[in-house]
Amino acid sequence: MNDFYVPATPTSPEIDFRFSSNTLGIRGESYPENAAAFYSDALRQLRTYLATLDATHVEINVELKYFNSSSTKILYTLFGMLNDCVNKGNDVTLNWFHDEEDETILEFGEELYEDFGQLNFRPTAVSAA
Amino acid sequence: MLAQPRPSIPDIALKTTANPNARDILLDSPILSPAQTNNEAFRIFTDHPQLIGLPVVEDGRPIGLINRSFFMDSLARPFRREIFDKKSCTAFMDESPLIVEIGTSIQDLSFLVVDAGKKALADGFIIVENGRYVGIGLGLDLVRMISKMQAQKNHIVMESIGYASVIQRSYLRSSRDGMASTLKDHFVLWEPRDVVGGDYYYFSRFDDGFFVGVFDCTGHGVPGAFMTLIMASALDHVLTHENRQDPAAVLSTMNRMVKVSLGQVVEQGDSDPGDGTANAEKEMKSDDGMDAAFCWVNTQTHIMTYAGARTPILLSRNNEGDIDIIEGDRQGVGYAGTPMDFRWGNKEIALQKNDCAYITTDGIPDQIGGERGIAFGKRRLKELLRSHRHLPMSEQRNALKEAFYAYQGAHTRRDDITLFGFRV
Repeated sequence: MNDFYVPATPTSPEIDFRFSSNTLGIRGESYPENAAAFYSDALRQLRTYLATLDATHVEINVELKYFNSSSTKILYTLFGMLNDCVNKGNDVTLNWFHDEEDETILEFGEELYEDFGQLNFRPTAVSAA
Repeated sequence: MLAQPRPSIPDIALKTTANPNARDILLDSPILSPAQTNNEAFRIFTDHPQLIGLPVVEDGRPIGLINRSFFMDSLARPFRREIFDKKSCTAFMDESPLIVEIGTSIQDLSFLVVDAGKKALADGFIIVENGRYVGIGLGLDLVRMISKMQAQKNHIVMESIGYASVIQRSYLRSSRDGMASTLKDHFVLWEPRDVVGGDYYYFSRFDDGFFVGVFDCTGHGVPGAFMTLIMASALDHVLTHENRQDPAAVLSTMNRMVKVSLGQVVEQGDSDPGDGTANAEKEMKSDDGMDAAFCWVNTQTHIMTYAGARTPILLSRNNEGDIDIIEGDRQGVGYAGTPMDFRWGNKEIALQKNDCAYITTDGIPDQIGGERGIAFGKRRLKELLRSHRHLPMSEQRNALKEAFYAYQGAHTRRDDITLFGFRV
C-alpha cells in the first residue's frame, strides 16, 4: 500500500507512515482543534496496513513535545492497535524520543509502556542541539 | 457619468447589506464608445488623474477596458499621437477584461478577481446588470470590503465569546463566594486559554466541611466551556448531604450520568467486522469527558478525602520537606473508554495546621517554554510551591503566576490553566 504523509503545522505533528519500509513516524506537537478528525485518516490507513502484516518487524519513532488530552486519547488508540498487532505475531519497537530534561514526555512514554507491554519500548533522551 | 471614483466605501455599506455583493463596491466611471477616438480617451485620462481603467461600451454593453499606463506609454512613443489620435479608442483596449454581474457576492467576486490574475486587481473590472454596463469596481475597494467583512465577522464571534465568558464566570460565583467565606487562606489561578475554556472549579460548603473540585473537560474554547457547564451542573445535581464525604462515589455517579447523557455508551453488538468501519465510526462519535480531582475536607477533624481522575493533589506539610504528589486513578470521567461501572478510590489524608494542598490541571505542567522549549513539568511546579509555601496564599499565587509567565515567555499558551490552593 502507499506510504502516508502529512506535514507538520504549529498545532499538529508530522505523520510519516512509510508502510513500504515498515517504519512509522510522528513528530512535533499535537493540539489540533479536532484531534479525532485530524487523526482519522492516519488511523484508518494504519489499521489497513497492520491487517496485512505477518511476522513483520515494525519500527515506530515518536518525537512529540506537546499533546493535549484529546490527542492523548488518540495516541492510546494508536498504540493499542500496535500492541494488538504484536499479539498477532509481529514485533513492534517504539522509539520514544524526549528531551533529556523533559520528565513530562518521558513519564507519558512510561505510562504507555505500562498499558501496552507488548511493545518494545525504547526511551531515547535527546540532548539540546 | 463623470464623477470621480469615491475615495472609500461608506461605512454603512456593510450594515445595510446582509450579503455584500458587487453593488457595494460599484463606482461611476467615465466611459467611451468605440466610435470615440484615442484623443478623447487621452483627454478623459488627463481630466481624471485617478482613473486607472476606462471602460469602452457599445450599445450599453461593455466591450473592453483601456488601462491608463499601457495607453499612455503607447501614445508617448514618437509619432504615435499623430498616427492614433483620430483612430478608434479600441486600438489600445484590453478586449477581455473581467466582467461581473452586479449580484455577484463579494466572496465569489474575490475568487474571480484572483483567478483573472494581476490585471483585474490593478485595472479594476466592469460591473454589469443583465449584461448591461452599470459601472466599475476596483481591486483596492474589493480588498477593503473583504477586510471589513472579516473584521466584522471576527467582531461578532469575539462578542459572542465575550458574552459566553460572562456566563461561564457567573456560574463560578457561588463557588468563589463559598471559598471566600469558608477558607481563611486560599487562591485560585484560573485562566482559560481562549477567553472561555474547559477548565473549571467547584466549591460547596457544608456544616461540617467543604467539597472542592477542579476539573479539566475535553477541549478548550467554546466546546470546552459547554462541557464545563454540563459538568458543573451535573456535579451540583449529584452532590448531596449523603454523598459529600465520598468523592469517589460522586465521580462514579457523574461518570454514568455523562456517559448516558452524551450517548457515549458502546452499544451491544457493536462489533468490528475487521475492515475498520466500526472503529472509524467510533472515532467520529463524541468522546468527551473530564479529568478531575474531588476533595471532601472535614473542617472539624481536618481529614481530607480525595478521589482523582487523572488529576493528582499536591501537599506541603507544615512548610517542611518535599511537596508530596498523591495520585488518583488513571481513568477519566465520562469518556467512551471508561467503563460504565468504573469505581474510583478514595484516599484519606490527615491534614495538620499549616499544611497546604494544591490541585492543578495539566495546563501548567504541560506548558511549553523555557530555553529548551519543553514542558514546564511537575518537578518545576513542586520546586516553586516549595520555595513560596511560607507566603500567604494570595502572594503564592502571584509568585507562581509570575514564574509561569516567565517560563512560557514568547511561546503560545497551549491549554487552559487552573491551580487551586488552600492552607489549613
